[in-house]
This record gives sequence, structure tokens and C-alpha cells, in this order.
Amino acid sequence: MRHSRHVRHVSHTATLSYPHSLVQRLYSLVLGPLFIVALVFLLVNVLPPAAVPHASIPLSTILLATLHTFIRLAIAYVLAVAVAVPLALLATSSHTIEEFLLPVFDILESVPILALFPVFVVLFLQFGFLNGAAIFILFLTMLWDIVTTLVGGVKIIPKEIYQAAHAFGVRGTALFTQVTLPALVPQLVTGSIIAVAQGWNLIIVAEVLHTYIPGGTTEQDLFGIGAILVKAASAGDHGTFVMAVFVIVVLIAVLNLVLWQRLLHYSQRFRFD
Amino acid sequence: MHDTPLISFSNVSKRYPENETPSLAHVSFTVAAGEFVCLVGPSGGGKTSILKMIAGLVEPTSGRVDRPGEVAMTFQSGALLPWLTAGENVAFGLARRNLPQDELAARIERELSRVGMLALKDKHPGELSGGQRQRVGIARALALEPQVLLLDEPFSALDAKTTAELHDDLVRIWRETGKTIVMVSHLIEEAVSLAEWVLLVQHDTIDEIFRIELPYPRRDTEGFHKEVMRIRNAFFR
Repeated sequence: MRHSRHVRHVSHTATLSYPHSLVQRLYSLVLGPLFIVALVFLLVNVLPPAAVPHASIPLSTILLATLHTFIRLAIAYVLAVAVAVPLALLATSSHTIEEFLLPVFDILESVPILALFPVFVVLFLQFGFLNGAAIFILFLTMLWDIVTTLVGGVKIIPKEIYQAAHAFGVRGTALFTQVTLPALVPQLVTGSIIAVAQGWNLIIVAEVLHTYIPGGTTEQDLFGIGAILVKAASAGDHGTFVMAVFVIVVLIAVLNLVLWQRLLHYSQRFRFD
Repeated sequence: MHDTPLISFSNVSKRYPENETPSLAHVSFTVAAGEFVCLVGPSGGGKTSILKMIAGLVEPTSGRVDRPGEVAMTFQSGALLPWLTAGENVAFGLARRNLPQDELAARIERELSRVGMLALKDKHPGELSGGQRQRVGIARALALEPQVLLLDEPFSALDAKTTAELHDDLVRIWRETGKTIVMVSHLIEEAVSLAEWVLLVQHDTIDEIFRIELPYPRRDTEGFHKEVMRIRNAFFR
């Protein structure tokens, strides 16, 4: 050891809790949906004229419509994730890009999607691809929820993790696949839950397309649970309405139990302390 | 002082863009192969910057840093990937070495065994204590078979008993492997317990260097307290 002194100068992202036990999980599966269905049943029965609910559309059709809706949501979700991940990484890739892109994201996120929906519907109508209009609006709705949570996720990856990876020579694609992407799993899961919930909210209007087409007819509506809900409500078909709500709530509850809760639990492993 | 220096800093300064004043100025020292050096000093004094320059993670603003290519570093938090097991974290450090599978497995086993963590090889960091995580971090660094092992305040978040155990283990590892070790600590007692050389980093430079010539284990011996007082006097001067 040698020393030579030339000059001496004095000089979370908040974490989502998830049900741990089977009892807790069953509670969320049974009681929550039961409450919603009971509430809907009660409401349609106190609304005059309170006919005894009798579904004019068979359950099999409602289930098939729900499947169509689910596929639309799934396609929109996959597209949203595929676009959101690179967008979030681009936005956080440098301070300069971040300063430019984040305000743009804020503006785009704030634009009311439904206000633009008629434009998209007419646009997709030109190509005879009305399903595309619904998927596109669902995609846009989901995109910003996922981008926002992912941007937050990138920012909470500890600097030391990147320094360690750099010190071990892990760079480029390997850094992305072995460090960044796994580190974003918790935010991807929470963002996805929020995004898909927003998608379910929007599905009610995304399938009833004729209202956005000048001189449109109900023939132009998409076959899906959203369209069935709207039609049943406007026709006073309380039986179909309650049945459709029941199916949608059960599906969401099952998805929550078998997919989101499991993913939430699994994603805890990817969290930094 | 002894041999050809393995690490050499010549009039090194470092200024970060966000700071008006330099974080380090006119830092010059050398470290020979096999030495155990500890940088101590107040927080924000530039200790970690020196360590990161040795690691090649930070470039000096001016001056010259000569360092060997084979350097491995452990971090204050452990910097383990939470989704990987202890064994996989060690393997992560070796990712770029493209070792044959059997050699990779052998190295992981050897280094986890060296730090007493082989039995917990399949545990994730979330299932390990702070001390155990640091042990895995050290195993990950040693698995690279580096010439220099850099430790950035590895024991700062640990309780006294765990720290004492890790001190003993670190001295044993140093003697077993003959590695050059450069460690950062904010505790003078820790530096005196472990290192042959203590560099007092304050006032933005290497303020003073102390040679510690005491047999191990050093804790609570008369010589240990004398050395601590000697450095403390310089620290508060």
C-alpha cells in the first residue's frame, strides 16, 4: 500500500394485498359476486313494471356471447401488453426521452377514449372490420393503465441491481430478459388487473356500435355480452339482464380466483425488498 | 509498497454532474495483490465512488485508475435477484462465462459451501436473512474467481452477532483464497477488525492511511482498541 497526496483539499409501488388462505379466496369468489347479483336482482324487481324475470335469450347464447366478449378482451389485452412494455422501457430509457414522453403519455391518457370512439367505429367500418373498432378501443383503454404501472415499476428497480448486472457483464438483451423484464412482473400483474377491469367497464359500450354509426341499425352491433346487456336493459328484459350480469360476474370471479390471485401471489417473488 | 501494485490511483478526481464541488479530489494510492484494504470515513465522503472506479462502474473525471480486469463486487443490499434461488443468483454472476454445466454446478457448490450456504442453495432471497443474503452475494462474487473482491458496506444492515460471524468468515475466506479485498465501511471498529490497511476517506480525498499489524482475531484486544483510537483521533481532528 502506497499513498501519495498531491494536494490536500478540505473540503412500490404500493403493494396489492391478495387473499392467502382458501377461505379468503372463496370469500372473494362467492360473497363478492353474490352481493352484486343480489343487488342487480333487487333493482330490476323494484323498477316498475316489475315483471317476474324471465330470460328471453337462452343461457347458451349468453355464454357464447360472453366467450366472444372474452376473446375481444384477451386480444386487446395481449396487444396492450405487447405495446406497453417497449413503450414503458423507451420512456424510461433516458432522462431526456422521459422528459419528453411522460407528459405526452399524460395527455394521451387523459383524452376521453369514448369521445374518439365514433371516429374509430367509422374508420373500421370502411374496412368492414367492426370487431377491430371494439378491440382497438379496448386496447387503448388498457394500454395506459399498463404503461403507467410499468413506468413506475422501472423506476423502483434498485440501481444496485443494474450495477451488479453490469459488473457481471450482463448487458443488452440479456439484461432485458434476465433483469428488467422479471423485475417488472409485479407491476405487469397489477397493471393488467386494473387494465382488464377497465376493459370490462368499457365492453358495455364497445359492442353496441350502431349508436356511433350515422343511420346505424342494431344489426351492426357486435355479438357479445355487452350488447346483450344493453339490449336487455332497453327492452325491459330483466330476466336476460340478470342472467347476463350473473354470467359476467361469475366469469370475472373465476378469472380472479384462478388467474389474477395466483399471479399476484406468484409476482410477490419478483418484488425487491 | 511490497510488489507491483494491482490497483493504482494516480491523482484521481471525480465530479458528478449534479454536484458543484468534486466528490473526490487528488486521490492517489496503490494496492498490492493479496492485501486487505478498508476504506472508512463519513457518509458521502467518496468511499463508494472509489470502489466503483475500481469495479469499472464509474469513470474518473480526471487522473488515472489502473485496475485488473478480473474484479467482482458485492453490494450493500446484496443486490440479489429476488426471483432466483441462492444457487441461481451465483449462476447469474457466471452467466457471461459460458462454463460447461458440470463446472458451473461445481463452482456454485464450492462457493456456497465456502460461505456456509450450501444447505440453503434452493432458497429465494426473500426466505433468507440479511446475513445469509450477504453470504450469497460474496459467493456470487467469489464464483467469478476474481483477482480483486470489492465489498461495499456489506454488513451495514446486519445485527452485531451476524456481523461478527461474517467478519470471521471473511478473514477466513481472504486467507483461504489469497484474494485482494477492498472493502468500504463507515465503522472504524469494523475496518480495524478486518483490514491490513485502513484508508481514511474524508474531506474528498484519502486523508490518511493506517497500517494495522495485529494478529487475528482482533476484536476487543488491547491493540485493537489502540488502533481504533488512533484512527478515531484522525477522523475527528
